[in-house]
Amino acid sequence: MSSAAGTDPAAEPGRTPAVTVLPTQRGGWLVAIVALAVAILFPFVEGGAGDEGTMSIAFFVVIYMAAVSAWNIFTGYSGYLALGHAVFFGTGAYTLALAVKDWNVPAGWTTMWLLPLCGVVAGALAIPLGLVALRTRRHVFVVVTIAFFFIFQTLATNLSFTGGTAGIQVVSPPWTYPVYNVNFYYVGLVVVVATLALSWSVRRSRFGLQLMAIRDDEDRARGMGVKTTRVKLAAFVISAVPVGIAGGLFANFQNGVYPQGAFDPLFDLALALMGFIGGIGTLSGPLLGALVLESLQQKFTQIFSNDGLYLIIYGALFLAVLLLLPRGIVPSVAEQIRSWRARRGGRTAEAAAGSGLPKVAR
Amino acid sequence: MSFDALVEAIIDGVLTGGVYALMAAGLSLIFGVMDIINIAQGAMVVLGAYLSYVLSVHLGIDLFLGLLITVPAMLLLGMFLEWGFMRRLREGDRTSMSILVTYAFAIIIEGFLTLSFGTDYDQLSAPYINSSVHILNFYLPDIYIFGFALAAVVMAGLYVIFFRTKFGRGLRASLQNRTAADLIGINVNRTRMLAVGIGVGVTAAGGMVYGATNAFNPGSGYDLISRLLAIVILGGMGSIGGAMASAVFLLVAADIVAVAWEPTWSILVFYAAIILVLSFRPQGLFGARAARAQ
Amino acid sequence: MSAPALIEVAGISKSYGGVQALSLCDLSVPKGSISGLIGPNGSGKTTLFNVITGYERAREGEVRFNGKAITNSTPDRVFDLGIGRTFQLTRIFGRLSVLENVLVATQRSESWARSLLRRAASTSERGRAMELLDFVGLARLASDLAGTLSFGQRKLLELASLLVADPAVLLLDEPAGGVNPTLINQLAERIRELNKAGKTFLVVEHNMEFVMALCDRVTVLNQGQTLASGTPEQIRADPAVLDAYLGGDIAGEAVAEQAKKKSRYKPTVTAASPIQPVASEPPPLLTIDGVIAGYGGGDILRDVTIDVAEGGITCIVGPNGAGKSTLLATICGLLRPRRGEIRFRGELISGLSPGQVLARGISIVPQAHSLFPQMTVVENVEMGAFTLRDKALVAERLASVMELFPIVSERAREKAGSLSGGQQRLVEFARCLMLDPALVILDEPSMGLDPTTRGIVFDTVAHMNTTGRTILLVEQNARAGLRLSSHGVVLENGMVRLTGSGREVLEHPEIEALYLGGSVSEVTI
Repeated sequence: MSSAAGTDPAAEPGRTPAVTVLPTQRGGWLVAIVALAVAILFPFVEGGAGDEGTMSIAFFVVIYMAAVSAWNIFTGYSGYLALGHAVFFGTGAYTLALAVKDWNVPAGWTTMWLLPLCGVVAGALAIPLGLVALRTRRHVFVVVTIAFFFIFQTLATNLSFTGGTAGIQVVSPPWTYPVYNVNFYYVGLVVVVATLALSWSVRRSRFGLQLMAIRDDEDRARGMGVKTTRVKLAAFVISAVPVGIAGGLFANFQNGVYPQGAFDPLFDLALALMGFIGGIGTLSGPLLGALVLESLQQKFTQIFSNDGLYLIIYGALFLAVLLLLPRGIVPSVAEQIRSWRARRGGRTAEAAAGSGLPKVAR
Repeated sequence: MSFDALVEAIIDGVLTGGVYALMAAGLSLIFGVMDIINIAQGAMVVLGAYLSYVLSVHLGIDLFLGLLITVPAMLLLGMFLEWGFMRRLREGDRTSMSILVTYAFAIIIEGFLTLSFGTDYDQLSAPYINSSVHILNFYLPDIYIFGFALAAVVMAGLYVIFFRTKFGRGLRASLQNRTAADLIGINVNRTRMLAVGIGVGVTAAGGMVYGATNAFNPGSGYDLISRLLAIVILGGMGSIGGAMASAVFLLVAADIVAVAWEPTWSILVFYAAIILVLSFRPQGLFGARAARAQ
Repeated sequence: MSAPALIEVAGISKSYGGVQALSLCDLSVPKGSISGLIGPNGSGKTTLFNVITGYERAREGEVRFNGKAITNSTPDRVFDLGIGRTFQLTRIFGRLSVLENVLVATQRSESWARSLLRRAASTSERGRAMELLDFVGLARLASDLAGTLSFGQRKLLELASLLVADPAVLLLDEPAGGVNPTLINQLAERIRELNKAGKTFLVVEHNMEFVMALCDRVTVLNQGQTLASGTPEQIRADPAVLDAYLGGDIAGEAVAEQAKKKSRYKPTVTAASPIQPVASEPPPLLTIDGVIAGYGGGDILRDVTIDVAEGGITCIVGPNGAGKSTLLATICGLLRPRRGEIRFRGELISGLSPGQVLARGISIVPQAHSLFPQMTVVENVEMGAFTLRDKALVAERLASVMELFPIVSERAREKAGSLSGGQQRLVEFARCLMLDPALVILDEPSMGLDPTTRGIVFDTVAHMNTTGRTILLVEQNARAGLRLSSHGVVLENGMVRLTGSGREVLEHPEIEALYLGGSVSEVTI
């Protein structure tokens, strides 16, 4: 069998390595560890625990980090744009509120044990919703998820056991500020790390490979043996769980839940925007997007109590990102780093040693 | 539920359906022309309502006359949006991206309206709004009849534009065979821009009638868009006649539900319709263009 | 005797609306062979592939694999059975890496739940994938994004992705199409090696050299039916095959003659005696000079230089993939040449938009149906004059066009989409004359038409020429096209191979060789 000259594919700088192939670069792990350390130590930094405003912002940031990372597992890897994940967020929120109320769960750390339940309920809900929504083509799928969102918002507002427009109150955990914020922050951090681990393992698994093949060419993937419906549904359900947990945590923090807050149309838009800004389909993209956008969002609401201006800026920002930076920050930056490395390495793509077959001109 | 109540619900539904058809026409048109799902349609209706409001309250111009100003204004807005944003979407994932882009438009419009008018509810008023025609046992509010009539006129107008003018022929040609249209010398970009403009301009009329029959505030767009989407999806994206038929059908159904059970559940009729129809017949009841595989 | 058939197709029929794509088609692929499937444009080759691999359903007939019926299975079932296929338009997973592309098919027998926990590929699977990449020469690109591969590399990747599932038989749809000639040999080598290792192949190709050299058995398809089947030598010598490729079987022409006499349409000039251009050669109306052009993947036109004489009919012929349609697209403004110039009456037109080209007096009737199906026939014809403002002039033109093409007035108010293929063609001609163009470009005007209508179409072309219009024609039906024309041009692999008068090119001894194997060195008579 004829073979090409043996050159190690990974060792050549100046190529365009795939964004999807997880580099087992030492660089990646180092960054992750440093980031985690920063996150853990953050509350103790000057202006951290001392300032309850900052910690509350930090809490919301981690909530969104978890939600966007989870959303990304489905939308980022499969290419199907889901704009209804607020359903899972709200469901998780209501689950926690109802559980605390009906089971008389004592306030405090015990309530946190309900979080996994919130995730499970959200995931269970995702099964029938997914079965219906995934029957349709891509752009119709988006509209169906939007429709689901509105349905649940209506249900929450009108069903009696959800408390109607007033919602449900939850007894606040008996912690004082600033400990209150810090505690919630750490729980949120745990959720983020768990979600990231989930996202990472999906990406490097066979399942993830199949998902991404579906994203690129669903028909061909099916033709090559991928069970597309099952894979898509599984991804949808998996992505719902952390969002449900985030919702439950949110309800706990806010000491209650009401329809507009739990099922907020801007939530879905925020997920999409954060995902797009950071970079859909990447691991760190959602984190970055959530960090940037949520901090801005919170700062804005503190500065601009005026809703109108806030909405305009938000919408304009979204437009700008969609049209100018369609791939997001992380992939664009990665691109820059690569070309910088190539220039430093002194080699160009064309100059690499050849294999048995000549390189065909493009 | 008494027979009278049923008939009343049906009549009500038909008349309201006309109004909704007017609002949905633009959405259907824009999809037919550009393969773009305009999530901002609801917000545009509300914008139209506010424009009429300003003209009526601050300048004392009659609602219907005011259309002579608001329609061209929104026509220009539509042309600008196509030229500046919609055109830049790549062919491949245009429809999905358009959902996000128009969602952004909706947010911006809502923000702008909130800034200008606050969050209080307003309603358009005119001497003829509260009067009604008395037929048999039923009261038919005048404004709904005018609204229905306006819808009919607008539909007729759209028909004339698309089937009896050169512009319309050029537009239809470019939809049926883009390459051939290019080769014949039709400026497809310019044609599309104008078509989107018309779609948004028509929405100004819808906004006026909506504003006259409902209390509205900047946030009313959300509720509206879900109904409009249901109407257009059921009737078939791109079919204006289908939009009219399905609007009437859905509104009648919603009204019956409201009378038989409770008004709050009537909105579910719309959502249920969206989901059921899309699951089993993606091209809607009348749509000629099937939901495309991506 | 030959080996038992691995794949057998018996009596398959398939139609799309009114068009019969396959009609009682038979095919047999012996185990261990490299079989070729050839035939002119529109003969049904890709449709047959699609039916075998489950992408399309057949109305009747049977497909058997190893003796078992697999008709109308789904694509994934077919793949599971061990039948792999490539596509005419290469399909790969663009955003995955090259290596990941190859790994996708290893998943096929896994349950999805387990696949969640398993790594994308075990060491042995990864090793095997790398071996395959090595085999096709893409190993050093393993971690590159598949979307950055060149056209030829993608074909190789598509092949490797199939091989990883170890299929028993591979269906290759135009594997050499658009690929650099140097690479083609390497590709043939790979196929031979795989064949020695026990894999069966069925290859659709237009590149006759490739097919004749590689395949041990060839089947010819024509108009959806199996025309002939045998060894390459047998096929090469078969007169029926030659006719199918060069077009216009004698019987058909006779029928056309008869039909012409009976029809009401009486052109003053028939196709048998083409117009000769003016004795002293005037400057060419259209000059194409050193044009290099292509779409994304690669250059299809590699250096084309042609002069189109004023007042004549110039016919461009050549095998599939030669670049004929691309050339026309470049002339009429749908494609911008990377290099080279196109001039019309001395004025530069390469790079202009289609509308601008139209305004200068060049009209084109494209290959694909270009009528507006929902509009009536007369509306369609009027659309030809869309850019004219003078209503009176439009009416005048319409009247004269209706005289030339009675079908326009006969079917005036019917929707254009309801006409047959041949009738639509005539309406398209009518439409393109509305602007009274000096140059009319026709892309395969007779394609998909029955012999009678074909005859009418060619007569119409001749007639359009009598009024002084220059015609530039691309024709699959080389015989009729060249017979009709004053000038002929042979295009092969994006370059001009042969030019001369119509008759000279037609009677050139190498033209048959060109169509059925063996290329022609550049000759200008």
